[in-house]
Amino acid sequence: MKLEMNGISKAFGQNAVLKSVSFHLNEGEICALLGENGAGKSTLMNILGGVIQADRGDILLGGVKHAFTTPAQSLSAGIAFIHQELNLINDLTVYENMFIGRELKKKNGFLDHKAMIRETQKVFDQIGMDIDPRAMVRELDASFKQIVEISRALMMKARFIIMDEPTTSLTDPEIQRVFEMLRTLKAQKVGIVFISHKLREVMEICDRYTVLRDGVMVAQGAVQDVTTADLARHMVGHEVVSGHREVSDNLGQEVLRLKNMSCAPYFDGVSLSVKAGEVLGITGLLGDGRSELFAAVFGSLEGASGSVYLDGKAVKIRSTLQAVKLGIGYVPRNRKENGIIKDMDILDNGSIVTWDMLGRKGLLNHKKQRADFEKQKQALRIKLDDVRNGITSLSGGNQQKVVLAKWLTRNPKLLILDNPTQGVDVGAKEEIYEIILRLAREGVALVVLSSEAQEVIRVCDRALVMYHGKVVDEVRGERMNEHEIMRLATGG
Amino acid sequence: MVTSMKKKNFFQYLLDGWKNKPLFSTGCALLVMIVLQTLALGFDYPSFGAWFTAWGRNWINILRNNAGVGIVALGMTFVIISGGIDLAVGSTMVTIGAVIMVMIDPGAHGWLQAIGITGVPAYVIGIAAGVVVGVLLGECTGLLVSKGKMPPFIATLGMMKICRSVTQQMTIQSNPTVPKGFLAITGTRIGGELILPIIYWLVIAVILYVVSKHTAFGRQVFAVGSNERTSRLSGVNVNKVKRRVYVLMSALVAITAVIQISRIGSMDYANAGSGYEMDAIAAVIIGGTSMSGGKGSVVGTVLGMLILAVMNNLLNLLGVPPFLREAFKGVIVIAAVMLQKKENNN
Repeated sequence: MKLEMNGISKAFGQNAVLKSVSFHLNEGEICALLGENGAGKSTLMNILGGVIQADRGDILLGGVKHAFTTPAQSLSAGIAFIHQELNLINDLTVYENMFIGRELKKKNGFLDHKAMIRETQKVFDQIGMDIDPRAMVRELDASFKQIVEISRALMMKARFIIMDEPTTSLTDPEIQRVFEMLRTLKAQKVGIVFISHKLREVMEICDRYTVLRDGVMVAQGAVQDVTTADLARHMVGHEVVSGHREVSDNLGQEVLRLKNMSCAPYFDGVSLSVKAGEVLGITGLLGDGRSELFAAVFGSLEGASGSVYLDGKAVKIRSTLQAVKLGIGYVPRNRKENGIIKDMDILDNGSIVTWDMLGRKGLLNHKKQRADFEKQKQALRIKLDDVRNGITSLSGGNQQKVVLAKWLTRNPKLLILDNPTQGVDVGAKEEIYEIILRLAREGVALVVLSSEAQEVIRVCDRALVMYHGKVVDEVRGERMNEHEIMRLATGG
Repeated sequence: MVTSMKKKNFFQYLLDGWKNKPLFSTGCALLVMIVLQTLALGFDYPSFGAWFTAWGRNWINILRNNAGVGIVALGMTFVIISGGIDLAVGSTMVTIGAVIMVMIDPGAHGWLQAIGITGVPAYVIGIAAGVVVGVLLGECTGLLVSKGKMPPFIATLGMMKICRSVTQQMTIQSNPTVPKGFLAITGTRIGGELILPIIYWLVIAVILYVVSKHTAFGRQVFAVGSNERTSRLSGVNVNKVKRRVYVLMSALVAITAVIQISRIGSMDYANAGSGYEMDAIAAVIIGGTSMSGGKGSVVGTVLGMLILAVMNNLLNLLGVPPFLREAFKGVIVIAAVMLQKKENNN
């Protein structure tokens, strides 16, 4: 049986996400689906999985046309979609998860635990996995959880399985375990779509590849005919944006040096240094450990080993308060959870880090608080009516500027920015880049953590690329381009 | 035509106030209560002067009777804004009260009496000892909640059981009395009236209002209650803020203990302060403070306490049997939260 998608198009409003894309999958085959973020991979697979519907195009299963309007329909036709966030309930046993919503019952209405355990064991035997059906899901490691979810799909007679970045949160031995299972499934004539950014894994496990870029299928073929560099080039495209800036030559003293920083399982043996006036980029895939590394530097992640030097002096940073007092600023990622306090007004949000310095006989000096913030408001061009309005009345870009402003009121010598333009519109994005470059000119040492290669190229003097918690290489000048960063970040 | 315009504007104003000012509906509810209470008191007096005196005396009674819980409720406001809760207040009051009583006892078993300290110095030392014990108990709860990462409900439930039980066992033999002089702390007449407890309550309310709005600690309590992660990532020492909140709470409980001992002239270790935690929480909730933390106000809590107090007085004047009065409290708490929910949706 063959799965085919022909001429699939999909638009969200004015935005055409898929432009007549065709894709096919044979039984007993693993096909990689590749592309940058926003290339249309998820949309295509969501159409196949019945999550959304295509505007045009057909889905054929063994030559028979199908139209899926719900995930349930797709599943009953034999297509299972294993999402990145697994759909298991930690506090139930494996067999209860296998039968959730379709529990087997005895005649008297009570659950038939024995039958459910037996059926679960049957599936595990079929794929040669040794998991106790009575174990709690919470106690399984991430790879076994994935295997349980795949087994559930098999139990529902899935012939095709879509896996969305299955290896992101797994360690190497766990990845091998999942791969072993994929090979077993392949031998049993199951077809698998493998969505991943990790090209080395694609080379290892996949038979064929399909690359999407900007909603168009740009390349496909057999994996054995290509190299990781070829795949990276297909993903990025040929016309590379090379708008990287003049590297500043008047760098000051070294501000931050990290020596051999490790913290399992996030990062391992990282050393780096940043000078005053320099913008250092750290990039890589999701889960490469860069965010955790700098959370540790800022004192919000415990248990890291290695040495931190600030202005040449060794420091042990144990709390965020200590980091703030040492002159470190930190704009975390996920603004809503980590950056703003939604119940407080703009002024409080923009001044929280200086409250301890605004004392006047124990009382806050509101005049100074307001004046300090006004200054940053001007400098960062924050658009607002009244500083006493709630922070959530602002747009994402302006909220992010308020988060920046709160740090700038404290004049940090080192500013760490994690995904600084997340959830920010294009115009504000450019403004934030300008602010970063201005701060560098004023002699602040900056570290920009980002998974967007273009962002790194736009603002950084040089960039370190991380893969699985290790720095794989440093790029600067001519080498700081999307191809090279993509190749390094994907482990190629 | 003109009058109808005016009317519309007035209703518009009411409607806007309802929607925009968080304490508007609370204030309205209190006003309605006061009007009803005044009506229930009646106007059957020989002169306006006589009516006013009766009305005023009634009010002083209401306020004085609620000053103790009112002070506890002020501390509870901080605890709840910080995202916590304190169920132990009634029990810690008994523990603190027992310490004060045994210190100031003028009889043979009084600790200070035994070493020759009596009178005002003894009262000062006794009160100071009470506050110190309060601070220590607050530190215990604070440590359990912050460093121990224990849910405040559980930590303070434990403290509640421990404090009252241990205090009762320890005081089984003793039967201290309160010296006459100590009664003056609340019993001194100001302008011919017994209003000192009311003044204490008011002064503490004003101080805590300023603390909540105009000090780093006060703002940090709001920040931590609304978003602990962001607060920590902004260099706020979250554990210290939480610890201080419970210390403040217990220190205020110590003040309440002093007021209660001084007013009643004794303390019933088995029953004193039981139900304080729920009355304080009710006042805080009626005053618009969010149970999930991050939102609330000291002024709201004072209004909330007044609503409860005036309602109790109103039911008393109407001759509602005491057993039934608690039900009205329950109804008003539920009604208040329903109204607030509506406001938040707007």
